[in-house]
Amino acid sequence: MDAYKYIGQPVVKVDGKEKVSGAALFTDDLEFGPDLLYAEVVEGPHAHAMINSINISDALKVPEVLAVVTGKDFPYNFGLYMNDRYIFAQDRVRFFGEQIAAVIARTPQAAIKGAQLVKVNYTPLPKVLSPLDAIKEDAEILHPDLKNYVHVPWFFPKADTNIAHHRKIRKGEVDKGFEEADYILEDTYEVPRYSHCAIEYHAAVAKYDHSGRLTVWASSQSPNTQRNLFAKALAPLGIRHNDIRVIAPHVGGGFGSKAGVTMEIMAAAIAIKVQGHPVKMIWNREREFYNTYQRLGVVAKLKIGVKKNGTITALKHDLYWDAGAYVEYAANVVNAVGLSAIGPYNIKNVSIDSYCIYTNLPPGGPYRGFGYSEFLFGLESHMSRIAKHLGIDDVEIRRKNMIREGDLTAYGAHMNPNGLLEAIDKVAKEIQWNTKIKSTDPDLAIGKGFALFWKAPAMPPNASSSCFLKFNEDASINLLVSGMDIGQGFLTVMAQIAAEVLSVPTSKIRTENPDTDRNPYEWQTVASHVTWSCGNAVKNAAIDARDQIFSLVARSKFLPVESLYLEDEKVKCRTQPTFELALKDFIINGIQMNDGTYRGGPVIGRGIFMPEFSSTNADPETSQGGHPNVHYTVGAAAVTLEIDKQTGKMKVLKVVEAIDVGKAINPDLVKGQIIGGLLQGISTVLYEEMKFDHRGKMLNPNFTDYKIPTALDIPEEIVPIIIEVPQPDGPFGARGMGEHPMIPVAPMIANAIDDALDIRIKSMPITAEKLCLEILKSNK
Amino acid sequence: MAIPYEFAYEKPATLDLAIKLLGEHGKNARLLAGGTDLANQMKQGFRVPQLLIDIKGIHELEVIRMVANELHIGALVTFNDIRSSRLIREKANILHEAAGMVASTGVRNRATMVGNICSAVACMDSATPLLVHESVVHTLSANGEKKYPIQDWFIDNRKTAIQDDEIVTHVSIPIPEEKYAGAYQKMMRYSGEDLSQSNVSVLMLSDKQFRVAFGSVGPIPKRSPKIEKLLHSEGISKETIDKAKAMIETVIAPITDVRATKEYRMHMTKVMFERALNTAMERYKQPRVISY
Repeated sequence: MDAYKYIGQPVVKVDGKEKVSGAALFTDDLEFGPDLLYAEVVEGPHAHAMINSINISDALKVPEVLAVVTGKDFPYNFGLYMNDRYIFAQDRVRFFGEQIAAVIARTPQAAIKGAQLVKVNYTPLPKVLSPLDAIKEDAEILHPDLKNYVHVPWFFPKADTNIAHHRKIRKGEVDKGFEEADYILEDTYEVPRYSHCAIEYHAAVAKYDHSGRLTVWASSQSPNTQRNLFAKALAPLGIRHNDIRVIAPHVGGGFGSKAGVTMEIMAAAIAIKVQGHPVKMIWNREREFYNTYQRLGVVAKLKIGVKKNGTITALKHDLYWDAGAYVEYAANVVNAVGLSAIGPYNIKNVSIDSYCIYTNLPPGGPYRGFGYSEFLFGLESHMSRIAKHLGIDDVEIRRKNMIREGDLTAYGAHMNPNGLLEAIDKVAKEIQWNTKIKSTDPDLAIGKGFALFWKAPAMPPNASSSCFLKFNEDASINLLVSGMDIGQGFLTVMAQIAAEVLSVPTSKIRTENPDTDRNPYEWQTVASHVTWSCGNAVKNAAIDARDQIFSLVARSKFLPVESLYLEDEKVKCRTQPTFELALKDFIINGIQMNDGTYRGGPVIGRGIFMPEFSSTNADPETSQGGHPNVHYTVGAAAVTLEIDKQTGKMKVLKVVEAIDVGKAINPDLVKGQIIGGLLQGISTVLYEEMKFDHRGKMLNPNFTDYKIPTALDIPEEIVPIIIEVPQPDGPFGARGMGEHPMIPVAPMIANAIDDALDIRIKSMPITAEKLCLEILKSNK
Repeated sequence: MAIPYEFAYEKPATLDLAIKLLGEHGKNARLLAGGTDLANQMKQGFRVPQLLIDIKGIHELEVIRMVANELHIGALVTFNDIRSSRLIREKANILHEAAGMVASTGVRNRATMVGNICSAVACMDSATPLLVHESVVHTLSANGEKKYPIQDWFIDNRKTAIQDDEIVTHVSIPIPEEKYAGAYQKMMRYSGEDLSQSNVSVLMLSDKQFRVAFGSVGPIPKRSPKIEKLLHSEGISKETIDKAKAMIETVIAPITDVRATKEYRMHMTKVMFERALNTAMERYKQPRVISY
């Protein structure tokens, strides 16, 4: 039973009024006065080339241009998990559009004009545009220095190749498993790159003042990680962590693109060259596509063996990732998938090889789902194909093989408590899985598709969160955390957690996006981990404050601590029903004793959280032995899809998705995430498609030709289902769910198409055009 | 993104002043109405006019009215003006239907139909409805008025018959006296705003009289006399429609580009032609000319 007052309630977003009224300020809204300068980057027109010379003299002659910086000014590399990236290109460019220099001027127009006048002389090099080409023996090597790059201990780069990391899983006896199989299905699935398409562009303003203080205002998911990487990259200039202050205004969408560090480091570095001036750098839509992060592409070779009754005997999954020119973040996507590419199944014999491969395409990086959408496309397509071959129901084969609490994951750790079976059953019921629908229009075919999903946060084993909780005189609270509200409702959920522990209503809790000087440490707002991790820190801070309150009341009112509790912003006592003391009467100024003296003082709560059980220590040849993932969030989804057989156009008539969130701290926000995530997933299947030409230049870096859904493209019916099997170490049992809604969409739609038309599509996206041409082929 | 160069801006209050300015500056000037195409071109440096002549202050160009049996649509009439005009909805439903598929509401609030046919980008939406209505483009310059039948207006992708000193004042659409009905079909990648990858307009004037135009499947939009003749001589049947669909292969020349392959464009044009034809016939059966 729920005795909670704030947890589990659809509390209105704490930043809602600010955003709806227009009071919310985003990075580009901030005013910096007349000293503000603007920076424009110079981009390389080659996917791979040596830079012979850069001539900046004409650019410097443009009136109002103050400075031009190039790679020579910042000969430092940096990166989140591997230092393979540079602030500006050094001796070579590795993707089309890579930044080579920046022009700093008093107006954006002068900066653009100056950038057009920077002359660069190149010698083009052979380029590698696909991961399979990049691992050929005679392939051009993109990073001859790979062996010297600093990286985290759980990466295994292969020197003198384009393989930046190889995650390998060996569990059980795979060959034997396949021998035992009655049926083996082997096939290749391809998932191309995608773009996040946050509506707000990347933007950063940096100021290096004359005292040596570097302040950066950036649209960011990761203020602390940015500060850390700026400090590490700029350390040779004598800059320390405490010299840097990152301020994060509101963010207009992230989806992973604003995690880690991309263009912001240019603004930070440039500012040092024009000391005293704030410098603004703002991306445009084109650069959002080709010079931030892109979702990685993958070619996945999948082999699954099963018994006649559908029991899986073995899985072999080889994933070749197109990780792009720099993989400082992308390599961890590859790693995460390597650990989890068995999907939510209990499989005894497993072989996984996940290769992070350099290509001369824009850098890959984190994107909502972190590789899971990509491998689940093949895996969940495969499961339905196997079911069809064996004549077993799609839902039944999943029930039979699904992972349960206590089963072993691919790396040998135990699966956490979860409600996967409940999710499967509820989704099957809601979509009326056993009822076929037929259209009365002969041009229309209707099919249903099912898919399971799981995902774990991918993060270092010591990724941590922290919180300061400050009471004010009226017992209102300033809750200081460094997670980012990127639209998902993070701040509201943190306020709810503090409210529950302290009995202070959320309307009296102010919690805002962070400033690294004011707010305590948070690793990053990624990995669907902040509700869980930062939520624990907030809960700990609230408990810390509550303990201080009880201790103070106990010693000043002579009541046993165990008898005290909080209700309606008052301290009450179980043994003395008439006793009550309002928080506002003592929370700052203490409690007066009979002799006129006071006890107490301002109550300040402090909370931290680090998952102390997590470890990446494992045998690199098998990945057995560690505990790299803290937990998995699981779920199921199904769709009813209508297809126009003449045009290939698809319409989602109904989509159902159930996720085991442990505890929905705010069910409205959970439903919002499910609906938004499903739409984003549907978009990657039906509409979005990145096109590159033979030079490696992206041909459609704009919304004219890279389509994301509008209000007109929303499915007719969306049913979000919340499952709550508590996460033992989650705040009030909660676990993360932000990324998950989108990850089952691609195979679910591919399965529905197969159900409707008996046509199996094995590459994404599945646009109307692709499907129509397949239908025409099958009619011949 | 800023326009990275400087230019002059004038906003004349009368048509005479605008013509005078245009006469003086010719090629170096561009007329600004909705600006939805021009502003992007200037930002990207595709066009670098030295003078923008903003015609939004010339109110006589805002006209939508019947003059005898002609529907006149002025140069400042936006696509959302078209959408909210009962007159256009009743008299030229194909244009009304097409206007609703142009870009998004925000763009339709600014973008004008005349701007659309002056930019003359191959994927424009207003051309095929105007073609099947045998519309006329009216221009004015210091030398007086000129009329261009719409079929002579489009020269190439982004190129029209207009002269540097001319302003399009309006388009006139002759309204047939007999009963008629039409339909517009547009190939789009999703339901949101999209540039057409192919579009078809069909106007039905009698059981045997049809006008058919194809857009976005060649450098300029065009009518197909061949298909119109086939429908006229053989009458509507499954067989005739199949023949007409096969004939489309000889009429249009779609290309493969970032938006679609030529194979899909060809296939979709056939499907859309049949659907437009069926819709036009459905609508023709209605008791009066109404709109959709």
